[in-house]
Amino acid sequence: MEDILKLLGGAAATMLLAFVVGATYGGLVRKIIARTQNRVGPPWYQNFVDISKLYMKDTAVHHGVMQHIGPAFAITASVTVLMFVPVLREGGWFPWFENLNFKGDIIFLIYMMVFGSLGMALGIGQTGNPNASIGVSRGLSMMVGYEIPFVLSLVSVMVQTHTTSITGLMEWQTQNGWLMFEAPFAFITMLLAILGMFHYAPFDIAHAPSEIASGPPSEFGGKYLAMMMTSGSIFAFAKLVFLVDVFMNGASNLVMLVVKTLLLYMVPVLYGAVSPRYRTEQAIRYLWGWPVFFGIIALIYSIYI
Amino acid sequence: MGGAILAYLAKRITPMLSSIVSFLAISSAAVVFFTMTSSTDVVTVSVRNFTLQFGLNAYSWVFAAMVMGISALVSLYNIAYMSGKDRLGYFNLNFTLAIMSMMGIVFANDWISFFIFWEIMTWSSFLIVVYNGIDEGKIGTKYMIFSAVGGYAMLMAIVITNSQIDSFLIADLINAYPTFGHGMQAMIGILFLIGFSVKAAVMPLHVWAPRAYSDSPMSFTAIFSGLLSKMGIFGMAIMFISVFSKASIGDTFIYSQVIAWLGGVTAVMATFYAVIQKDAKRLLAYSSIAQLGYIVTGLAIGTKLSVMSALFLAVIHALYKGILFMAVGAVERQAGSTNLEQLGALIRKMPWTFFSALIAAIALAGIPPLGGFVGKWMLYESMITSTNPSHLFLVILIFLSSTAAFLYVYRLLFGLFLGQEEPEWDHVKEAPAPMVIPMVLMALTLILLGYAPGLLFEPIANGMEFLGFENVGWQMSSLSNIWGDTVDMQYVWGSVVTLFVLGAIFITIKNRKSTRYVTTKDIHTSGEIPEAHENLTYAVDFYKPFERAIEPVMRKTMDFYYNHFGNGLESLFGFVRKIYTGNGQTYAMYVVIFLVILLLIGEQIFK
Repeated sequence: MEDILKLLGGAAATMLLAFVVGATYGGLVRKIIARTQNRVGPPWYQNFVDISKLYMKDTAVHHGVMQHIGPAFAITASVTVLMFVPVLREGGWFPWFENLNFKGDIIFLIYMMVFGSLGMALGIGQTGNPNASIGVSRGLSMMVGYEIPFVLSLVSVMVQTHTTSITGLMEWQTQNGWLMFEAPFAFITMLLAILGMFHYAPFDIAHAPSEIASGPPSEFGGKYLAMMMTSGSIFAFAKLVFLVDVFMNGASNLVMLVVKTLLLYMVPVLYGAVSPRYRTEQAIRYLWGWPVFFGIIALIYSIYI
Repeated sequence: MGGAILAYLAKRITPMLSSIVSFLAISSAAVVFFTMTSSTDVVTVSVRNFTLQFGLNAYSWVFAAMVMGISALVSLYNIAYMSGKDRLGYFNLNFTLAIMSMMGIVFANDWISFFIFWEIMTWSSFLIVVYNGIDEGKIGTKYMIFSAVGGYAMLMAIVITNSQIDSFLIADLINAYPTFGHGMQAMIGILFLIGFSVKAAVMPLHVWAPRAYSDSPMSFTAIFSGLLSKMGIFGMAIMFISVFSKASIGDTFIYSQVIAWLGGVTAVMATFYAVIQKDAKRLLAYSSIAQLGYIVTGLAIGTKLSVMSALFLAVIHALYKGILFMAVGAVERQAGSTNLEQLGALIRKMPWTFFSALIAAIALAGIPPLGGFVGKWMLYESMITSTNPSHLFLVILIFLSSTAAFLYVYRLLFGLFLGQEEPEWDHVKEAPAPMVIPMVLMALTLILLGYAPGLLFEPIANGMEFLGFENVGWQMSSLSNIWGDTVDMQYVWGSVVTLFVLGAIFITIKNRKSTRYVTTKDIHTSGEIPEAHENLTYAVDFYKPFERAIEPVMRKTMDFYYNHFGNGLESLFGFVRKIYTGNGQTYAMYVVIFLVILLLIGEQIFK
């Protein structure tokens, strides 16, 4: 009984943290991109305002069961990923954020990360909105693009450290130093892969606001959109923590966690703020070009080091 | 055991006038199999100086159980699917014969009966491939030629084996193989592998598969792709694990490397082809080839984990691909089309079919927490933990194929079940119960296997121990690799299901009264309101951008090379025909010329 309470309490605390940090980051990103483009931009708390407004909306329309439960798929994936990623390193506040850290490994997380996209894509498909379907087609195609360097980078890290669990990776880093420096090519590959992964420009064609009316979410409103935004905030945070765990040995307290994740997040954001947009096939070819080249170097490096 | 064999043979004699008889025959055989056989029964028949032996062992039990369980369900589906079609007797005879011959292959302990049942299987499936009568000359010939090449390769290997060890028993080959010379080992191995690879549709030998799968009746394709191709895997596993692993190290290394990479290339290329297909049946056919690529790769790597994953995937693939083919068959029967660009929005009309197809698609994509993930996880982990560097590059290939699989899985579900509703498909209704029940049962099995994959690990581990592995460890719901990292499926399953249920309940209960359903015509299209006859679903050339991106690798198909090969052969035959003119006088002249040559140089030759 006590275990279950601890589990639920930890899960609630982690979710709350992830939501707050994730939504704040979302707001900050909007501000930063606006400032780069010489606009004033919304305040940093804009995402909280948006989400609470959407939750308070009374009416909601849907086009069928699949669309209705689509956001549930998304939130399932985000929270599950969050539960299996160690938020903090052992010690200090660790018991609060332990959750299910020792029950899964990296391959599992890679797959869990696409669970939400597929579920959402099915929900979007039912709306019959052409813009949304075009967005899905582009998004899924691009996913094939960035998954390859992403996986190459993770495989080379796993081979180098001889473990596939995140907690194992963090132990290895405590003894040998950050993987960011120990596996430099894998880190470069990952930086290039997350450009595509976070869907900022130049890889934002799936959500192109002016061209296909923001694409996938265009048919969702009210509580559905609110749930999607919540899930998106949690997911962004979970992905960032995952990357920080893998390459920067996690963090031992919340301040360091925020600093590290924010620094990492700025890479795709700042790169995106000044970039135009690739077409889908250009994006795929780009992601299968240099990133894969560095990934293969990383793999060779990890085998022969 | 004797009872089981009798039941299979009895099925041949039963007048196969309706699908119901065939269902009863197969399901009674299944009942007999599951209740009365144990994995140690052996029947020996001596025919003159041959010894024919039938029997079960722990390894073939896995395949026998898979064949019996799934074909019993599929034959139930078959009753409704085939009702109202022509030549039912013909179809059902071959249908039952194919299943019977698969059991024969699995039961065979000697190569002679193995080969006989193999050919029965090929012939009966050939007759079903041409049953629909679409383009049968081309498809049937292709299938027959490749099967014949495979069959003769196998026969040759069997005969060579017999000449070496004077026995047809499989066990004798396994024992004697290490004593052969280097060349003999290579020759027997390659010949057998060609025979099995044709059925498993490995890359250069896959050309027959897409059309043969997609143009047979769907109730048979569920068997064809799910089970019949697994017979190739069945043989390959015996070869790789029991036979090659005992041979000299160099051979094993080369064989398994080549086959593992062929499996990987098959997986990637077939997946790409599946992504660009416009027809649901064709899409699934290519997808089957791709999935068999994984299994072959898993077998060829040959570690405990990878073989376990290959056999696990073999069973799981039979389940989910069975469901998907049956679902497409249900759509075909109810709506009359399987074109992904025309169909759409059948979800509200065929909810149960959609549910099973959804579960199968999630399993195919390898997304946790279903059974498909378990197999994929073991395959990846076995490659990442491998000591052989080439496997680390192969894992990227497999990942590429598996990620691209999301594309066609989505396309399939979207094309058939989602999108805007059209008046054209208003008449479509849910498929009859005999078609829905097998699909839903198999979908529930997939969910169960995600929670407790150990149910399947147990027979597989026993089978692997029979084949020659020692101490195959397994746990009921936890997966682990040789580095000691684990995934706890119970927690994964629990977490995903709990969160999903909570999320679904939350989104349903919140503002339930003011949530309403609107039709798919009532959408946000920047002010334009589509009329009733206008269909805005984006389904034509769905993955055009992706097609453009992968264009360079898609230019030449294997068919192209085979056609060139065929043209080359034709000109060779043309040349031969110039010699064999069919004219008696020419032949007389040849004889004279031959005699003259003999007289001239015979002195030197026959001294």
